[in-house]
Amino acid sequence: MRALAAPPSVVKSLRLPRASGLFLTSLIVAAIMVVSAIAAPILAPYNPNIVDLANVLSGPTSAHWLGTDALGRDTLSRMMFGARSSLLGPLLVVVLSTAIGILLGLIAAWRGGWLDALLARIFDLLFAFPALLLAILAVALFGKGLAAPVIAMSIAYAPFVARLVRSLVVTERTRPYVAAYRVQGFSGGWIALRRVLPNVMPTVGAQSTLNFGYVLADLAALSFIGLGVQAPTADWGAMINESRGALMSGQILPAMAPTIAVVLVVIAINIIGEEFSDRLGGQIPL
Amino acid sequence: MSILKISDFSLELTTGSQACLLDAVSLSVEEGETVGLVGESGSGKSLTARAALGLLPGRTRISGSVVLDGTDVFSAGPSQVLALRRSTASMVFQDPRSGINPMRSIGDYLTESLILCNKWSKADASQRALELLRSVGLPRPEAHLAQFPHELSGGMLQRVMIAGALSTSPRLLICDEPTTSLDVTTQAEIIGVLTEQQAQHGMGMLFITHDLNLASALCDRIYVLNAGTVVEHGGVQEVFTNPQSAYTQQLVAATPSVFTRTVSVINPTRSAAALRPAPEPESARPAVMLEARSLSKTYYVKGNPPLVAVNNVTLAVPRGDALAVVGESGSGKSTLARMIVGLEQADAGDILVAGVSRAAHSRTRAERLDRARTVQIVFQDPYLSLDPRIIAGAAVEDALRLHNKLSHAQSRSQVLALFDQVGLGEKHANARPRTLSGGQRQRVAIARALAVGPEVLVLDEATSALDVSVQAQVLEVVQEIRRKRGLTLLFISHDLAVVRKVCETTMVMRRGDIVEHGQTKNLLENPQHPYTQLLLDSIPRPEWELDQPEVPLAPNTSSAQIIGA
Repeated sequence: MRALAAPPSVVKSLRLPRASGLFLTSLIVAAIMVVSAIAAPILAPYNPNIVDLANVLSGPTSAHWLGTDALGRDTLSRMMFGARSSLLGPLLVVVLSTAIGILLGLIAAWRGGWLDALLARIFDLLFAFPALLLAILAVALFGKGLAAPVIAMSIAYAPFVARLVRSLVVTERTRPYVAAYRVQGFSGGWIALRRVLPNVMPTVGAQSTLNFGYVLADLAALSFIGLGVQAPTADWGAMINESRGALMSGQILPAMAPTIAVVLVVIAINIIGEEFSDRLGGQIPL
Repeated sequence: MSILKISDFSLELTTGSQACLLDAVSLSVEEGETVGLVGESGSGKSLTARAALGLLPGRTRISGSVVLDGTDVFSAGPSQVLALRRSTASMVFQDPRSGINPMRSIGDYLTESLILCNKWSKADASQRALELLRSVGLPRPEAHLAQFPHELSGGMLQRVMIAGALSTSPRLLICDEPTTSLDVTTQAEIIGVLTEQQAQHGMGMLFITHDLNLASALCDRIYVLNAGTVVEHGGVQEVFTNPQSAYTQQLVAATPSVFTRTVSVINPTRSAAALRPAPEPESARPAVMLEARSLSKTYYVKGNPPLVAVNNVTLAVPRGDALAVVGESGSGKSTLARMIVGLEQADAGDILVAGVSRAAHSRTRAERLDRARTVQIVFQDPYLSLDPRIIAGAAVEDALRLHNKLSHAQSRSQVLALFDQVGLGEKHANARPRTLSGGQRQRVAIARALAVGPEVLVLDEATSALDVSVQAQVLEVVQEIRRKRGLTLLFISHDLAVVRKVCETTMVMRRGDIVEHGQTKNLLENPQHPYTQLLLDSIPRPEWELDQPEVPLAPNTSSAQIIGA
């Protein structure tokens, strides 16, 4: 017996004969960051938290490629371990905000009427707050660390996803294929979740990819001002903060390395996200 | 001398598949003559017309010549071609709504080229625009100048586009399906304007259409194009009455007509009466399968007066019969169909399918499924009515598995059986909608509707987006299924010719009201209501048939009865 339904694959619909060099470079950059985060315990040359006061601010040497910080910790090792919290935070935010956004957007579009209007006003309200401000508020209420800012940012970014999902679904539900499902007796929930949602997912995924970059920068900023990941855990934002002092004494590497990492990842993710949405533009009939 | 002479013109794509889009096309248009270019979608008729103005798609290789008013447009310099486009030839496109800039007023549209290209003063250009609007028969030329495209109807906008094309008094007018998106009565008016203008200016006209009836009514000579090749050309009556090539014969046979043909058609379609299922001896089922009682629906849009889409419509279709609902856009025929299948709720009135009231909104799952098993629908647009992500077979299987608790293997074999019934095979079942043609998609949509095993099938303009030959095939499929399953049909259409082929009874709707109803034969032979008469008079027919007595080939008498509003 042959399977009727081939698995609908987003990846397949994204495939194009020609990929731009910039896009490929971005993919490679993102891949390097992810691999070094996951494999940090294996790849990192040193324990990121071992203090070596005899060897502070060494500058690049054969033993420490990116030098050491003010406490003699290996910058490269801290970068690799720092990638874990720096990438995990945005990942959690993107997953959570996409889930909340899809749910609210779908409800707004499918139910319509007063519920749609109410949700739209709530989204407007949330748009008015900078995400960072909400995160700081959450830290003030629930304490420092990764959890509170992640939850606050998820709420702050959900309206972006929700508004997109709503507009896509509103268009999609007027299509005759949705009417055909209805006439066949399928329930509204089944049509919305099983048929309409998968059709809008690629575009939503592209938007969420873009969000990842913004969230990463926001969370790094939060750690930089000391409200995010707490010492001694390595984190790019926190590392920039810790090494601020060294900048004055001419040692720019301990602060510059994580800064460059943040910038690189944000740019790479933006390029990847935009490439995704460009490619989808012509392919998914929305 | 011919105003347009295309000789051995070929056009190939230089990229990818090396497809040959046009293969040695030759045609000519004399001044004062109307030449039809007829073909189905993808035959290259629009490409040929555009080539006449030197407009070609990129990445193509051409050979042969296109001589417009003595100048070869492909060897002439850009400025010469520009001059030709400005003064010698102009074009009317299919969709005036996308062909006219929505942000500019009608006055801007008409005066722009005169002011920019011919250096006319603004006052002179406005004067000319006024004359043009008057000449194409628009009611209030002065007011229209200041209006914007969205304020005019499709028919009015097409007149504006014709006026624009005539602004520089061209000697060749190319019309690319100018009436395809219009209602039949509007089409008749536009054709009237075009022939009048042509006679006045003595222009040559190249008229592109897929509608053989229209071409036969309008043209002196026609060229039949198929897959980039001219398969036949000659005087219109000659080609029509005595088609030589197999393709033209097939095309003529596939084209439905409201009136009797003077020629015997190759494949005379069986009359609908012959296709009706033999009356079943006795069953517990009620004689009336589908019934609507005083059905009404009004739409309220903010800032607009309430729109009465359907007004107190009553109808009854006996089991196994086919009722056509005919009307132009905005007549409420689609709203009626959507209410019957439960996509819209009626404001008042009742719908009975097999004697059970179905007007209320289905609340429970059982109610929903029950309703689905009584009536199904096939929509107009085969490109939007299938889920783009789901392969064709799975779309049908979804419906099967919802209604019958079937194993995967059982539903799979039923899917293939259904596909077989609509003339499709296993490879179509595994294909995604976008790889299927319009006709194939519409067959999938029919298979999907049948999967539930409905007693009533609503076809909402189900064949109007298809080419005539494909339409004929799909109608054949519908007839076949009807005969086998004893389905009751509600056939929504704007095309009286198609209706004649399919339905025993016909109901004419206008602005929500039923204006006339009765047996199709009687209705077409002897229309009582002036609107029905207008609809029939608007249908293009060949000149040589105008002398013939109008004897519609209507299906034989049936037991169908319609209760008037």
